[in-house]
Amino acid sequence: MTAIYRLIVRIAFPSRVRRRFGADMARMFERQLVETRAAGGSVVALWMSAIADACVEGAGERVAMLREWRRAAGRELGRWRWWMHAFLSDSRYAMRLLVKQPAVTIIALLTLAIGIGGNTAIFSAVDALLLRPLPYREPDRLVKVWEKRPAEGVVDNVVAPADFLDWVRMNTVFEDMAAYVSITADLTGAGEPVRLAAAGVSPPFFDILRVQPAIGRTFRREEATPGQHRVVILAHSLWQARFGNDPRIVGRKISLNGVPHEVVGVLPAAFEFPDATIELWAPLAISLAPTPPTRSNHSLEVFARLKPGVTIEAARADMDRVGAVLQKEYPDTNRTHGVYVRPLAEDLSRPVRAGLLMLLGAVAFVLLIACVNVANLLLARAASRRREMAVRAALGAGRGRLAGQALTESVLLGLAGGVAGLVVATWGISLLRGLIPAGLPLIGVQHLGLDGRVLLFTFVLSILTGLVFGLLPAWQIAREDVNQSLKDGGRSPGQLRRRLRAGLVVGEIALASLLLVGAGLTLRSFQRLMNTDAGFETAGRTVALVTLPGRKYVDDQTRLTALEEIERRFGAIPGVRAVGATSRLPLGNENSRMGVGIEGREPTPDTPTRAHIRAVTGRFFEAMGMTLVTGRAFGAADHEQSLPVAIVNLTMAERYWPGASPLGKRVRLGGTEVWREVVGVVGDARNWGLDRPVNPEMYLPVRQLPWTTVFFVVVTDENAPAPGPAMREALRAVDPDLPLSNLRTMEDVARRSTALRQSTMILLSVFGALALILAAAGIYGVMAHLVALRTAEIGVRMTLGAKPADVLRMLLREGAVQALGGLAIGLTAGVLVVRSMQSLLFEVAPADPLTLVGVAALLTSTSLLACYVPARRAMKVDPVEALRAS
Amino acid sequence: MVRQRREDADAHLPLKPLVFQVLLALAGGERHGWALVREVQMRGGFEGVMPGNFYRTLRTMLADGFIEETGDVRDRRHDDERRRYFRLTPLGSAVATAEARRLESLLLEARAKRLLPKSRS
Repeated sequence: MTAIYRLIVRIAFPSRVRRRFGADMARMFERQLVETRAAGGSVVALWMSAIADACVEGAGERVAMLREWRRAAGRELGRWRWWMHAFLSDSRYAMRLLVKQPAVTIIALLTLAIGIGGNTAIFSAVDALLLRPLPYREPDRLVKVWEKRPAEGVVDNVVAPADFLDWVRMNTVFEDMAAYVSITADLTGAGEPVRLAAAGVSPPFFDILRVQPAIGRTFRREEATPGQHRVVILAHSLWQARFGNDPRIVGRKISLNGVPHEVVGVLPAAFEFPDATIELWAPLAISLAPTPPTRSNHSLEVFARLKPGVTIEAARADMDRVGAVLQKEYPDTNRTHGVYVRPLAEDLSRPVRAGLLMLLGAVAFVLLIACVNVANLLLARAASRRREMAVRAALGAGRGRLAGQALTESVLLGLAGGVAGLVVATWGISLLRGLIPAGLPLIGVQHLGLDGRVLLFTFVLSILTGLVFGLLPAWQIAREDVNQSLKDGGRSPGQLRRRLRAGLVVGEIALASLLLVGAGLTLRSFQRLMNTDAGFETAGRTVALVTLPGRKYVDDQTRLTALEEIERRFGAIPGVRAVGATSRLPLGNENSRMGVGIEGREPTPDTPTRAHIRAVTGRFFEAMGMTLVTGRAFGAADHEQSLPVAIVNLTMAERYWPGASPLGKRVRLGGTEVWREVVGVVGDARNWGLDRPVNPEMYLPVRQLPWTTVFFVVVTDENAPAPGPAMREALRAVDPDLPLSNLRTMEDVARRSTALRQSTMILLSVFGALALILAAAGIYGVMAHLVALRTAEIGVRMTLGAKPADVLRMLLREGAVQALGGLAIGLTAGVLVVRSMQSLLFEVAPADPLTLVGVAALLTSTSLLACYVPARRAMKVDPVEALRAS
Repeated sequence: MVRQRREDADAHLPLKPLVFQVLLALAGGERHGWALVREVQMRGGFEGVMPGNFYRTLRTMLADGFIEETGDVRDRRHDDERRRYFRLTPLGSAVATAEARRLESLLLEARAKRLLPKSRS
């Protein structure tokens, strides 16, 4: 029976009442039933009234609950209104204060502007280059696939065509794969003849990137058949510059390398690609017929799109499987090769990621130092406002309210600093744009700027900054002893306050020294780099590329004749001392590595014999300023019919003929049967970058390895005019149709190879200098204030017989102790932090003694100087004056 | 303090009859729910009090701070049953006193108007 009553209660009453009293109510009703029966009363009547009771009272409870909610909500609203009101009046008050003390405000604003502006600028670069998704649809599914050679520590080697075809056939994880290779093409018949940077891509390339052409179409699969189709797609810029945005371009033929090609499409203006110079896209023909492609000539970059839902790990596992199969199937070429899959975004941001993150860290430290300075400034002001605060507290202002007032003030200051920081950021961003080296394969450089995301970052950062530097002064105010403040008139600094501010100084020195260690180490790295013997000369060298088109220079003999004629004419230019030519320019970053055979040395998977091959003319070494260590250079006697010869570099000699002279030993190129005799050894040249290790290199006479794209190196006398125009004229005399491209000085080439490192170094040095200046200003501010507060104490000491020198010594000692404490923390932290970023250093240990000592000396002297100025003032204190003032 | 409590207590007057009855019952010491019901019923006028009404009254009295629970204590005589015990809070007893005073003044008025015979004392 009571189960029914329970059910009724359950329906009628809200759960909170039922849970609390439901059981008691049921028990009461049960007893009532028992008693009614015992007394012979009407059970039905009891039931009726129980049901009515439950309904009426239950409804009453529900109404009561509703009322309570409404009341609570009203209270919330009221509290919110109160907060709003408090905030607004605090803000007004804070504004008045900020305006009333313009010196403090301006110093704080400048400090904050530097900190916040620097962070905004670096963040905009981080956002544009690292955070922003790639400008392709579903960018997370885009990957690059590389050849991996674990034995050589290489994970991103370019791919051989035959391997690429097998990957496409055997993988199960990619929606599609496309090979990419950068090429050049001479465009004629559309204005001046011009050499275009172009790319050959497998037809699915644009589908993989999900790029739709602005007009026309992308490539079709059958267009990858060699020699079958001559079609191209134009970049928007080329369409605009050379064809006047003509919409009827699709279907028209244009002349490339003297051969007509049909334009099938134009890319949209918004299309972005890491190599922004590419203006022309052609289908890349790789197929098994008519001649099977090679497995030993590596030249392709591979783009791919993962099937939906396939993770990068799954893709790696699958491609490891494919790599293992190919290893087994083609042990001659592939026995040490694997496959490596890397997300496209990660692949593209690799060159700048570590540097940018380090800069972000560095600039964050600058902001922290700025925060410490402003906190100190506010603490000093809070000290002089102790009396005001004490009076307000005595009049009934709560501690929370007073602290809130202080926080409001600092957040407002932070926001104002953020606005000022935007000015600094605009300037910083234009500096950054100039510092990002041109020609880096990056996507997103053009997005560098103050967009909505960056502004949001700045806004949040400004508020956070305000909270960070406002917290300490607010806390100070909240814990202030009102009576004490009223009694001493708000003058005594208080032991704790002094210790707190000394702690801030120590922290500031620690932060600055950490930053300076980083800056110092990158500076030293760069210095080392600049002093590295490149193995070749850059001064007075001008380089230019000449390409002999295959349709005109059909055989080796015509090519060689042309090259020799060009070399002769370049050499005849007045002021030119020497001319050489090479197939690959030092620091040109063009890979030409191949397997080589060393007589008497069988390559094993762990010790492959490879070398970078260059075809050079006889006077190349002389023109490049490379030293011949032993043997001879190439001469006129080394021609097609003579004994095949080679010159190796020192690294190759030491690696493949350790302890023996390589002269007279024999080598051959991978895949050939022709043995060549080593006739000379040249010194190592850092062809791959000043900070990169030297590889085994082998040089062949160009007459024995004719090449069609040749870099000429021209050495001129110091006072001679730039040889560019004369070179063009000389080339025109040989063949008026040959363009001279990539005309640069070798110094420019070298600068480009170190530009990224140089930019990082410059920025870090700037941040280090800012940190030093801010820290010095901070230390000075604190010391000056402490000394001012201690005027009375100093007066007493001097009355008691202390000499001015004693006072000076005392204050300087305090400063030195703080500096040493901060240095101990900062230098240790600096070494630890830099150790985790060793890739950014070059031949410098993280604990480089020179850097550490330099930073220590710099900071100690800076902080002593910052102490000395106020200490001198203290020395001149007139004891009587000092005592009277208190 | 005392005056403060009296003002608080006055704000709750007049009390509902059942509330006053419960306060009166608890003035004799802590009680559990059913014992309260019996005592109230015995004083007359509340024979027909129903569980919903009674416990809702207890809940509002708890919410108003007149009474408090002493916890889930086992009855000393009926060991098997869980019972809630209630007792007066200082506010509750102040409120009860105030209500008693109010009723007393009404009673005096009634006597003065000769609705009731003057007390024998």
